[in-house]
Amino acid sequence: MTDQHSATQGETAGTAIDTTVPHSARIWNYWLGGKDNYTVDREAGDQYREIFPGITVVARSSRGFLTRAVRYLAGEAGIRQFLDIGTGLPTADNTHQVAQRVAPESKIVYVDNDPLVLAHARALLTSEPEGAVEYLDADIRNPDAILDTAAGLLDFKQPIALMLMGIMGHFTDDEGYPIVARLQAGLPSGSYFALYDGADTNEAFKAAQQGYNDSGAVPYYLRSPARFAPFFEGLDLVEPGLVPVPHWRPDPGAEPVEIYSYCGVGRKP
Amino acid sequence: MSTDDEPPADISGPTVPRMILGNQLHRFREAAGISPDRAGYEIRASRSKISRMENGKVGFKERDVADLLDLYGITDEETRGGLMTLARQANAPGWWSKYGGDIMTDWFEEYLGLEAAASVIRAFELQFVHGLFQTEAYARAVTLLGNTSAPADEIDRRVGLRLKRQDLLTGPRPPQVWAVLDEGALRRPFGGQAVMRGQLNRLIEVSELRHVTIQVVPFSRGGHAAAGGSFTVLRFGDDDVPDVVYIEQLTSALYLDKREDVDHYLEIMNNLSTEALTPAQTSQFLAEIIKET
Repeated sequence: MTDQHSATQGETAGTAIDTTVPHSARIWNYWLGGKDNYTVDREAGDQYREIFPGITVVARSSRGFLTRAVRYLAGEAGIRQFLDIGTGLPTADNTHQVAQRVAPESKIVYVDNDPLVLAHARALLTSEPEGAVEYLDADIRNPDAILDTAAGLLDFKQPIALMLMGIMGHFTDDEGYPIVARLQAGLPSGSYFALYDGADTNEAFKAAQQGYNDSGAVPYYLRSPARFAPFFEGLDLVEPGLVPVPHWRPDPGAEPVEIYSYCGVGRKP
Repeated sequence: MSTDDEPPADISGPTVPRMILGNQLHRFREAAGISPDRAGYEIRASRSKISRMENGKVGFKERDVADLLDLYGITDEETRGGLMTLARQANAPGWWSKYGGDIMTDWFEEYLGLEAAASVIRAFELQFVHGLFQTEAYARAVTLLGNTSAPADEIDRRVGLRLKRQDLLTGPRPPQVWAVLDEGALRRPFGGQAVMRGQLNRLIEVSELRHVTIQVVPFSRGGHAAAGGSFTVLRFGDDDVPDVVYIEQLTSALYLDKREDVDHYLEIMNNLSTEALTPAQTSQFLAEIIKET
């Protein structure tokens, strides 16, 4: 286990955890039924759910997409290296667990800039002995720094799966598209890119999100489905393309639910 | 609730089955709109017995559980079968039950039950190296300190109990143990320099286990939030079972499972974990202290 890598400032130690505003990783943990959340998160989470009761299903379905996407990448696509930016707090099926169940030798680099998330990842997201898990304290606003540090941890001559699960909503299109393009440009041919984010196709979802953004928390913006496409520019979209999360290669027998989050997986030619 | 995932009763002991079953009975009773008095009457017991059962503090007679389920209108065979299995597990003795009452207090017995059943154990230690990581020599030195007038065989049994606890780390389903140690716990040379060196080497060894994480808060990062003292937060695999905070005192222990209390300690633990050295930095730090010890 090495975690002396830092693409931005020094180690995260000493950074205070703010418990006065809701926190995206903790509120997400609350909706997923976890116990790593505080009163401020539960209150904000309950308010959100009153306006948009579907958020719990959105949270669960989105994690379900992560599981199916990683299973596909490690399985059918044969990927053994994962760069997961915006790790979040540990939950039931984390990227390395899904990947290493398929291929125990898989190597995962978790990237986050939140001290609480990093502390949990270092303690609880630990690798199978055959593979490796690394933790990178970095901000996605600086994609070059992430690529530079990741180059010391992953083999950039072999394909890598870049995962941005539910984090690009924190950025406008003008900020977000160039960041993602820069990250993809740094990966070798045959690499993959997987993303999901919230879409603006439901009025209650939009209203609840607006209320959350007004609370002082780090804001998150819902995108129209059409505005997901530029994230995948220059990539070959894997079937079934850009779709609501439950429609992406559903498990056999899965109930089709109406969900307002979109996702896709693309391959770099 | 998935009883399939429960470790065998001889490892986990009765604590968590009691908590889960108690929780379920509470919910069924509330859903049926039945008072604790009425439920107590049904099983020829008091309302406080019902409260102790629902809080997971006592074992269960299978007949009582069956009568309560009848009263609450729970007829589904699968549900009833699962709960009756829990009732049997809730009565199985833990491995620690054979230790004598002179060294095994009720509160420590309760702790061992929780520890054996936990899926994640987060501990902050201010004074001592955590019991799960102690070498025999260190455990003996610390035990002698607290029991100066005890006969030799009692000391042996106390040390034996402490080492037996550590089987948890090498068992088939070990919990994730995430410990934050204050530098003070590494600097106090219990048993002398040689014992302490052995103990520090053991810490490096256990920290290499996949399910063990050790972080040190060095003196240079003082002023952290836990001024109060050592405590442990236990988490269980079942979503229905709340986290439990355990605080050991001189002659008793405090268990907190109310959400407000747990939140407070979880926040302190999170602050400590983010302020402490990372696990990798901790290994280097331990190696340096060994050179100085």
